[in-house]
Amino acid sequence: MTRHVVVEPRGLASVKLRILVPVLSVLAALVVGGLFLAITGENPLDVYRKMADVAFGSANGVSNTLISATPLILTGVAAALAFKMLVWNIGGEGQLIMGAVFASGIAIWLGPAAPSWIAIPAVIVAGGVGGAVWASVAAIPRVYLKTNEIITTLMLNFIALSFMNFLVFGSSSPWRDSAVSTFPTGQPIPTNARLPTFFQRLDISIFIAFGLAIAAWWLVGKTRWGFAVQVVGDSPETAKYAGISVPNKILVVFLLSGAAAGFAGALYVAGPIGALEPRSLDLGLGFTGIIVAALAGLHLLAVIPIAILMGALNNSGPALQSIGVPTSTITMLQGAILIFAVGGEFFIRHRIRLPRKESTPQEIPDGVEVA
Amino acid sequence: MTSKRWRLFAVVLVVFAMVAAACSSDDAADDTTTTTAGEAPAEVLKVAFVYIGPVSDKGWSWSHDQGAKALKAALGDAVEITTLENIPEGADSERVFNDLAEEGNKLIFGTSFGYMDPMLAAAESHPDTVFMHATGYKQSDNMGNYFGAAEEGRYLSGMAAGAATVTNKIGYVAAFPIPEVLRGINAFTLGVREVNPDAEVQVVWTSTWFDPPKEKTAAESLLDAGADVIAMHQDSAAPGQAAEAAGAKWVGYNTDMTEFAPTAWLTAAIWDWGPFYIKTAQQVIDGTWVTEAYYGNMADGMVALAPFGESVDGATRTLIGEREAEIIDGTFSVLPDPIVDQDGAERPLGNIFEMDYFVEGVVGSPTG
Repeated sequence: MTRHVVVEPRGLASVKLRILVPVLSVLAALVVGGLFLAITGENPLDVYRKMADVAFGSANGVSNTLISATPLILTGVAAALAFKMLVWNIGGEGQLIMGAVFASGIAIWLGPAAPSWIAIPAVIVAGGVGGAVWASVAAIPRVYLKTNEIITTLMLNFIALSFMNFLVFGSSSPWRDSAVSTFPTGQPIPTNARLPTFFQRLDISIFIAFGLAIAAWWLVGKTRWGFAVQVVGDSPETAKYAGISVPNKILVVFLLSGAAAGFAGALYVAGPIGALEPRSLDLGLGFTGIIVAALAGLHLLAVIPIAILMGALNNSGPALQSIGVPTSTITMLQGAILIFAVGGEFFIRHRIRLPRKESTPQEIPDGVEVA
Repeated sequence: MTSKRWRLFAVVLVVFAMVAAACSSDDAADDTTTTTAGEAPAEVLKVAFVYIGPVSDKGWSWSHDQGAKALKAALGDAVEITTLENIPEGADSERVFNDLAEEGNKLIFGTSFGYMDPMLAAAESHPDTVFMHATGYKQSDNMGNYFGAAEEGRYLSGMAAGAATVTNKIGYVAAFPIPEVLRGINAFTLGVREVNPDAEVQVVWTSTWFDPPKEKTAAESLLDAGADVIAMHQDSAAPGQAAEAAGAKWVGYNTDMTEFAPTAWLTAAIWDWGPFYIKTAQQVIDGTWVTEAYYGNMADGMVALAPFGESVDGATRTLIGEREAEIIDGTFSVLPDPIVDQDGAERPLGNIFEMDYFVEGVVGSPTG
């Protein structure tokens, strides 16, 4: 008798399941990663203890983890916001860079005389505007000419990166530090535009990132406008039938997504870096944001803990090297955790049954049968 | 619904907190055991090295790692060495330097330019730790700099390139438009034109220190444009592999990379950091270390010329050998003062650490 495994989509997963599955996924990843570590001659417990200790075990570690998480929260929001609407904005990287360009530009333009209560909000708003302007380059053709935004946003990342490199490495722009002739570096922004630190190296940008993520969640989940956006995301046809202006919604979501990434750039520049510094910004934060959004199941609040987890994973790399774990092993381990977490998503969306008797697939019209 | 979502968020945070608490308490226990166990008679100096690329690059980072190994070999149990590779430059690296200092490293070498400001910040918050930064210029009471006159080796490798080219077009895969790189290109070009006044050096910028695919593409574009010798500044062997595939010649950098392109290989300016690392660690152990900006050269052995490839003929080898001897005894300066710039105008050499122009014979822009 053939045994059947039935894989079928499940409706709304329970909250219990939605917590249990990611937790089990990460545990499974740690077990598999642990086996791999054991094979390569490391003690998995030592490695995991070191990872957790570096990320959360000291005030300094917690501060560093949150610093690394801050931009990821916002690039994660940027990706989740767009993807929810089926807008494939993978230009978070470029929008972050342009946000940083605008933010540092306004800080330098305002100069050291501007009081902080003007300079800091101006820098943050400018970052959002910069990200939105850069997103609009892809968003307007997407909405009115139906161009493929995956390609345009991807390409615009490289243009933004080259533009930033031009401002600092290739020209005598105001963004370049004119006092240093040995190596082109970013012009430090005036201290009155810098975000104050309050805990080790951690500055208030973490709260701004939390606030913006919560605001995005509220906007999409709790407002009439957000409801319309969700309808468009679920079914553009239904939305059109209901009299919702689909192009308008897509455009606004696209720009908000760009703004979120731009905020990330602004906070990074006004926070830990203090200048438009290409070497500090070219870290793939926009791309990592896409992973964060995917792991968070596009949930705008779940983005926060996931970004913190990613920040912790990122920071654990150098510390693991210091106990003698090779970089390639660390990359493998980080990859395993991500793959398992994404894989767990499958079990949230699908149910797997092992029917005892001859199953009748007709009863489950959506079911996929695997022999 | 709202409260449920908040609960999800809260649960995840709680789990993090629990894991953190469990692990940190464990580690605290570990720390005490290691301090009691580590009862070495003489105090062991913990030394850390931070590399921008992988040690396996066989280039810049590998050369420093060879220095770290030489340090271990020379001082043995008196030093305990930690090496970190693939650490990106920029603000984020401050965390890495802070962590190393907090783990008890008393001497930390950072081997890439972009670590400068982060190291300076870490040095300020860890006044008992000595920070040594390669290629930079910022100092403090507990942070010094070191580097070497690669331009001396570059000049000699340029002579090999000038003798090898048939098309009189030499391609140079350049990293960033900074004085160090410009110095190298200029010295190389002067070496090329000493033996071959008609040859030109075409520069392409990659804005990378280690990005093999990009550096390979840059080399290929130069080969397509007619270059038959490729020189480079980055830490990978990729330009050499492109030259090998195209039947062209190659001048490397950092280390002897013959094995990657045995036919293309001419020679290279290479580094030997070991003696300097041993000297610095000994100074820290003896308590005699003071802030300085050390600039090594061929005379003290920090810079050398790699073994020649088979295609370098005897006459060229002799010529280069004579120049090398003059450089070492101080009778020949690879960057003359005054110097002829890209436009053919004579100008004062100026401060070579702030060099921002190309010499005659270079095709390309010195601003990137």
